[in-house]
Amino acid sequence: MRIAHRSIGIIVTTVAMAAALSAQAPPQQTPSPTQGVVKKGKVPVSNQVLKIKLPRPAEADLANGLHLMVLEDHRLPQVSFQLFIPGAGGYFDPPDQPGLAAFAAALMREGTATRTSEQISEQLELMAASLNFGAGAASPEATITGSSLSDQTAALIDLASDVLLHPSFRQEEFARYQQRTRAGLMQQRGNPGFLAAELFGRAVYGEHPAARISPTAAALDRTTRQHLVDFHQAHYLPDHAVMAIAGDISLAQARTLVEAKLAGWKKSSATVPPVTEPVPVDGPKIYFIGRPNSVQTNLIVGAQAIERTNAEYDVLQVMNKVIGGGPTGRLFIHLREEKGYTYGASSSLNAPQHRGEWSASTSVRTDVTDPALTDLLAEVGQLRDQPVPDQELADAKRSMIASFALSLESPAQLLSLYVTQWRYKLAADYWDRYPDRVSAVTREQILASARKYLAANRLQIVAVGDPAKVGDTLKKLGTVETYDTEGKRIGSR
Amino acid sequence: MARSLIRRLAAAAVVAFALAASLSALTPPSIKFTDTTLKNGLRVIIAEDHVAPVFSVAVVYNVGSRNERTGRTGFAHLFEHMMFKGSENVGPGEHFFTVFSNGGTMNGTTNKERTLYFETMPANQLDAALFLEADRMRSLVIVKDGLDNQRNAVQEERRQGLDNQPYGRTSEAIDDLAFDNPAYKHSVIGSMEDLSAASVDDVAAFFKTYYAPNNAIIAIAGDVNTASTLERMRKYFEPIPAQPPPPAVDIAEPPQGKERRLTLEDPLARLPRLDISYRVPSNLSPDDDAIETLSQVLAGGRSSRLYEDIVRQKQLAVQINAFAPDSRGPRLFRIIAIAAPGKPIAELEQAIYAGIEGLKAGPIAGTEIDKARNAARRQLVNDIGSSLSRAIRLSDYALVHGDPGLINTSWERLAKINAADVQRVATQHLTPENRSVVVTTPKPAAGRGGL
Repeated sequence: MRIAHRSIGIIVTTVAMAAALSAQAPPQQTPSPTQGVVKKGKVPVSNQVLKIKLPRPAEADLANGLHLMVLEDHRLPQVSFQLFIPGAGGYFDPPDQPGLAAFAAALMREGTATRTSEQISEQLELMAASLNFGAGAASPEATITGSSLSDQTAALIDLASDVLLHPSFRQEEFARYQQRTRAGLMQQRGNPGFLAAELFGRAVYGEHPAARISPTAAALDRTTRQHLVDFHQAHYLPDHAVMAIAGDISLAQARTLVEAKLAGWKKSSATVPPVTEPVPVDGPKIYFIGRPNSVQTNLIVGAQAIERTNAEYDVLQVMNKVIGGGPTGRLFIHLREEKGYTYGASSSLNAPQHRGEWSASTSVRTDVTDPALTDLLAEVGQLRDQPVPDQELADAKRSMIASFALSLESPAQLLSLYVTQWRYKLAADYWDRYPDRVSAVTREQILASARKYLAANRLQIVAVGDPAKVGDTLKKLGTVETYDTEGKRIGSR
Repeated sequence: MARSLIRRLAAAAVVAFALAASLSALTPPSIKFTDTTLKNGLRVIIAEDHVAPVFSVAVVYNVGSRNERTGRTGFAHLFEHMMFKGSENVGPGEHFFTVFSNGGTMNGTTNKERTLYFETMPANQLDAALFLEADRMRSLVIVKDGLDNQRNAVQEERRQGLDNQPYGRTSEAIDDLAFDNPAYKHSVIGSMEDLSAASVDDVAAFFKTYYAPNNAIIAIAGDVNTASTLERMRKYFEPIPAQPPPPAVDIAEPPQGKERRLTLEDPLARLPRLDISYRVPSNLSPDDDAIETLSQVLAGGRSSRLYEDIVRQKQLAVQINAFAPDSRGPRLFRIIAIAAPGKPIAELEQAIYAGIEGLKAGPIAGTEIDKARNAARRQLVNDIGSSLSRAIRLSDYALVHGDPGLINTSWERLAKINAADVQRVATQHLTPENRSVVVTTPKPAAGRGGL
């Protein structure tokens, strides 16, 4: 069944919209539904949830402000690391230069004072090591990740440090990068999922940096070598950064290595760059991108929701699990297993430092766009209108809690939990208490959160599909803002 | 320019020397396992360990799209979807519901060679996992509304993955062009027409023929007790009767004779794409490792020959990849390049051929072989880190080579890779008369979009 994993999920709308849709859905387009999930209850399942004791990383604060976390695990001869640098992500791009952080991160890897781009590639590939520099388009942080067999760890950290501290930003390499990236920016416009996500970001966040999912070609053309040099100097600071290392290495070994290699990374005493909250969106809207030759309609429905530290975080996670958190979610069961509209349907909660978003997504064949969107909106409506039945709620919570055992297989995955705890300043026993918090979520809390965050007047709908066949379906919902595949607004009707 | 190139090469050589010295005697832990065949022919491999309270089950059926008959392309994969629609004691959807709601993960996947089902669950759910797999092997429920539903889902899978994507139909066109024997000529996902034609009777016959215990291998890895797991395997699976062996697949491929070419127009693509595919021997050939190494030397990573020459230096392409998908029958060594905007495809094609001829003429540096070898070793270490990858590797080695022990010996086998073999397979197989070339060109859309 090869279930698709996606970062952006589906759903929703107003009561008025849902009513309009259900009145309009032509029944002849709807295949006769089959039963999604039937529980015969004969599988010999253990009713116990394994009690998991999570190993803790060892931690140290280094003189330059860098926080070091090490999860020692010798079962395999390999080591992986993640270095998060607050202030160096795309969130801090100048408004007229979206992508600057991403360009800087990518170019660091293209040469240092003592290594050429080719030498860096050659060394990494000879070590069979990975080293990636990235800055998410909307992320407050730049992220450097790497991994290698443990006998190459010192060489890898040495290389990573050189790239971090001494990038040369050679003009010749930047020109090459521009050429490749221009092509990439052109290519991604052929992908309907990209087009939907790009417009959904604008629909939910407006001008806030969280709207960004990609650099623009204009910013790429405008950027000079000096911009990269300046960005690196101003934003790559150790004061609030965290280095998380997992695998065949001890804290003492890691500390010695990191202190030696990053000796030149000097404390700046800068404060943590602040992020601001996005402006609430003024009412629900419907957006359509006409993509000629589409044979499916990509749908995203969603709204601004909460920040990571919000007290309702666990409630929204359980709510999301119920409606769209994988194949047991209502969307998958209803839209796929019962109706056969789609290969997959899911939802997700993105809760960063500032207010994030909840969204649901699917892609359906063009001729069922209308009933699929109707059903999707009805599922969201049901979340607001009816409490989640006790058994369904218990199943969702058990799924979330019991799956913790699986994370014990991967030291890197476990460590990422503690990195999250550090980044968001969560309580020291945050993950130990996670099962209790999830267990405590009630159906009343879910109902209240659904009414608050998934209210009809908050929801944005984005569709990408065949302009000759999909347009009228959406017009029944209200005024539709239309765009072309270049992201340009055409009009509203 | 010339000076800086020499300086770069000199520095690269120094780096390489220092590293080669440091590549040590490091070896991955050995995987201990038992290998048992039940009375009904079901092969059971158990690899017990207790590093985490988790186990994985991989169930591989020796049936893939190569077993499909004409007029039923896509059927093996459609059938895979039916395995989630219920059996005597398990309701439709209850399989995935049970696994996920008890903290596990699972999926199924089909390729030309085999159909694989797997689950990873917390250690206390072994009975549930084995019961679920046994019940559907023994007593799949085959009803029309379930088939219609999954036919729809699979047709959407095809639209989402192929028909609605740039270059979505290119790979399908390549297999159709390069192969003559129907077994490997069609895509795994199959045609819309054939998917629509699949009937309940087809599902029942396919189940009886291919989903028999003697046509399956089960590998279990992780936090289990070997003896009690084997006892449970006998309890759940041994009562399932064996069936006559499925018909052998005719994998004979008539000689290609001469170069084949095709140009495709793609209204969803933005840049031209060039696909060059050569017929090469299967994974069972002694040249398997040399073929894999060849793909790495040509285009495995940014320091590879074609990336450095064509993407970085000549800037004729923005991406280039080379790989040879696994197969026990005929297969292709594929090279895929996306042309840089405005650069002629013909020039790109000639540059790739020049790179291949350069490799044949030699020499291949020792570091080029080292990179390929180290990449394979790194992948192996990475794979044995999760119980699921261990189970899948064991089941796959058993299916393809009859020997799950390759999980422990492939490390040493990789030491034997050498430049002469890589050059020899390139010379033998990467020839003009053995290639199929597909050029996919963007077709301008009729309108600009909008309502």
